Amino acid sequence: MIESAKEKAITVALAGAPNVGKSTIFNLLTGLSQHVGNWPGKTVEQKTGVFRQGELTMNIVDLPGTYSLTANSLEEQIARDYLVNENPDVVVAVLNAASLERNLYLVAELIELAPCLVIALNMLDVAEQQGMKIDPAALSQTLNISVIPIVARANRGLRELVSQIEQECGAAAGLRDVKHIEYGSEIKGVIDHVEGLLDDGITDPYPKHWTAMKLLEGDDQINKLIRGRMPAERWPALESYLRENESAAVTIATLRFEWVGRMMGVAQQKRRVGQVSLTERIDRAATHPISGLFILVAVLGAIFWLVFSIGVPIQKFLDVNLIVRTREFVYTLSFMPQWLQGFLADGVLSGAGTVLTFVPILLCFFAAWAFMEDTGYTARAAFVTDRFMHALGLHGKSCLPLVLGFGCNVPAILGTRIIDSPRARLLTILLTPLVPCTGRMAVVAIIAAAFFGNSAVLVSIGIIIFSLLMLVMVGLILNKFVIHGESSALIMELPLYHVPDLKLIGMVTWQNILAFIKRAGTVILAVSILVWLLSIIPNGNISDSVLADIGKWLEPLGRLMGLNWQMMVALLSSFVAKENTIATLGVMLSGSGGDLTQQLKAILTPAAAVAFLVVQVLFIPCVATISAIRQETGGWGWPAFALVFQLVLSFAMAILVFQASRLFQLGI
Amino acid sequence: MESERTEEYLEAIYKRQGKETPVSTSSLAADLGVSQPAVTDMLRTLENKGLIDYKASRGAALTRSGEERALAVIRRHRLWERFLTDVLGMKWDKVHEEACRLEHATSPDIEKGLSSLLGGIDTCPHGHSIPDEKGNIKPEKTTPISKFRPLQKVRILAIDNEDPKLLRGIEKLGLRPGAVVTVLKRNKNGSLDVEFRKEKIALDNATASVLTAEPATETLLAREEAEIALGELPPGESAVIKTCGGGHGSIGRCLSLGFTPGSVIKMVENYRRGPVLVRVHDTEVAIGRQLAEKISVVRKEAA
Repeated sequence: MIESAKEKAITVALAGAPNVGKSTIFNLLTGLSQHVGNWPGKTVEQKTGVFRQGELTMNIVDLPGTYSLTANSLEEQIARDYLVNENPDVVVAVLNAASLERNLYLVAELIELAPCLVIALNMLDVAEQQGMKIDPAALSQTLNISVIPIVARANRGLRELVSQIEQECGAAAGLRDVKHIEYGSEIKGVIDHVEGLLDDGITDPYPKHWTAMKLLEGDDQINKLIRGRMPAERWPALESYLRENESAAVTIATLRFEWVGRMMGVAQQKRRVGQVSLTERIDRAATHPISGLFILVAVLGAIFWLVFSIGVPIQKFLDVNLIVRTREFVYTLSFMPQWLQGFLADGVLSGAGTVLTFVPILLCFFAAWAFMEDTGYTARAAFVTDRFMHALGLHGKSCLPLVLGFGCNVPAILGTRIIDSPRARLLTILLTPLVPCTGRMAVVAIIAAAFFGNSAVLVSIGIIIFSLLMLVMVGLILNKFVIHGESSALIMELPLYHVPDLKLIGMVTWQNILAFIKRAGTVILAVSILVWLLSIIPNGNISDSVLADIGKWLEPLGRLMGLNWQMMVALLSSFVAKENTIATLGVMLSGSGGDLTQQLKAILTPAAAVAFLVVQVLFIPCVATISAIRQETGGWGWPAFALVFQLVLSFAMAILVFQASRLFQLGI
Repeated sequence: MESERTEEYLEAIYKRQGKETPVSTSSLAADLGVSQPAVTDMLRTLENKGLIDYKASRGAALTRSGEERALAVIRRHRLWERFLTDVLGMKWDKVHEEACRLEHATSPDIEKGLSSLLGGIDTCPHGHSIPDEKGNIKPEKTTPISKFRPLQKVRILAIDNEDPKLLRGIEKLGLRPGAVVTVLKRNKNGSLDVEFRKEKIALDNATASVLTAEPATETLLAREEAEIALGELPPGESAVIKTCGGGHGSIGRCLSLGFTPGSVIKMVENYRRGPVLVRVHDTEVAIGRQLAEKISVVRKEAA
């Protein structure tokens, strides 16, 4: 016998429901070796990583958190397609002992798909706190699957888990049979009948029995697949049989839970005692329609306080000390040709460089986001706001991303991933750019201060309220006329509150920041260089550049809202980053003497200034936001829609405001 | 002896008439456990006495006086059955045979005594009506439970068979006349799943076809068994899920989160508007108001 190669690499998939501590286990095993990307062609995060111990190398794949393997959502579809197509060596089902009953449902489904299964029974400590006592050995014996008790937060039991995985993998793979849950004879007859209607090979790569069950469970994806592959004349027979047995979906789910009940009977030595847990006590306030809202406002207030007292000052500091200083420094480097100085200073630094100064602000938001997710508060916020969001066809979970949009639209759009209804998610993505971000607010603040003196704050608040009203209006329109389909109802688990895992929060924040920096280094850099090129071609002078030509070409339109071509150019430059408006105005008006306030007053009437604020807050999303929309909607269709829609909306509103104020002699 | 046989025949024809008129010789032969020629002989005799109309090709039907005789003997039979179970405490699967013997040896005085001893009771232990002394009998509904729709709530009226083994089986399940059950599902093999006292039980084909039932009226059930939408369940109360509605998409999510029929659900928070918070399978789950209206539940009595 030849010894098999000493080095062995195996693939391990982590499966489990949301809120079971799967990410913690994944982080513990893979540490910094992890790679975060998207599942091919999908906007669902894919995390992979490597674990090494001696001669063992485990490639670990973190499957999306799912309650079942019926394709109710994209996550579930991805998880089961991975299991079927990639056929990992070992599947680790991570279960939360405190809600074992619910988690065993997924095990029932996994058993039928994943022959080599190891159960990691997490959070036994939490279960014990609730008075439950679970016997892992008894569970293991009944299921005939090894069950490893672990407490991931305390890093306990991981070593045993690894050695069990190694051991399972050593067992001869061919000998494992797909086990079936015993569902009782009646439903078995129905499943067998469907199986009989399926030709051999038609269900590949899915097992036939499993496919029959999914057909009965009303799984759209499997239904479409079989319909496409089956001879057309045979399909009606199957379809009518499935329709006759429509109730089978409920029956199968019920029988699975009955099976779970039997397993629980064996594994559970002590049932949960009826005491009121800490979670329930907090929830009494946090989910109350009134006090819950106050808590939400307080939490959001704290986050914004954090952002404005830490993030914003650092951003300003970086902007002044890094970007502005470096720009000045670049211009002192006389050995460089002038075009290179311009390229570095105006193209790279003031474009992509300025965007990068926003990293501290984003850091605060990402960390706050991860913190809320990890403690379990996100679900409560969604619960409290669901009643308001529903009117716009949105979801309770839409609220937090939208609020995040006040900081920066980019993380807000990425944050919409928590929304499990595709329709509500798309709506939220399209509405997010209407939330005025800090970049836009900076422009509003400067221009309002220049024109309205003491009432500048009132004007700024008015603009925010105006743009939120626009958001509601657009939401109503999109919900009713543009995005079709029925709005799906809220249904989500409220996880137990727990002490946040700072390592996990750090990891998530870091990954998000990294993704943002990558974006700034590619898309945003390219666009800022392009805009810079447009501003120097052909003479190196912005006043008669291509950009200026575009501005002049747009001037007739601008005149309708009281804006000259310089203002139009400033508006266009906000495409790179919203706060670029001010910098561009500075460059454009630099020849006319005086500071920016005086220069602005010279070219704008107050009515035109208001119109400019309106067009500026509603104007097309910045490059970073557009690229985020493209990434999250998986194509150019929706970003193009957002561009056109907001272009029309912003100009129409600004013209309306300007003409109305002229007509009624307001402020002139 | 002669009158005893006459009464047995009249009784059998009367019972059969509920299902087929005229009554064929073959079904009588089966009911009485005698040969067909013997039945034919006896039917001729009964016809001569004017108790039945009999045509060889079609069968027998009771005449007016035949029916009176039959009802009188049935009255005695059922009174005896009641006496044996209620007064002597015999099992209900034993009393039929005893009553069959006693009914023929009962004088009008004994009949009166039995009737006054038992008071106002008007059904036998198996749920059939006892005719009054003038020979009037309440018409009985004879729909077997197997004919009812799934999820229909019905009350058991009677057990339409005296086979001791069957009766013992039914007694074991606790299904007495008057019991209220919910039909759950009819199975391919003829057996029937029903819910009784919050438990699912399976009735085999034979049992399901002899239990007669009628739809249970709302008044009887209004308090404890009425189905309500989940959205109407007050906080703190528990309920059992009956059906899970919602569109094609949300039903799958509901099922995988544990909203399956039969699962116990506890309302945690329910303010008149906005989503509700429930506890199901050891986890708290938030459900939008619209969806909560589509899930129907039956309240559990407060523990």
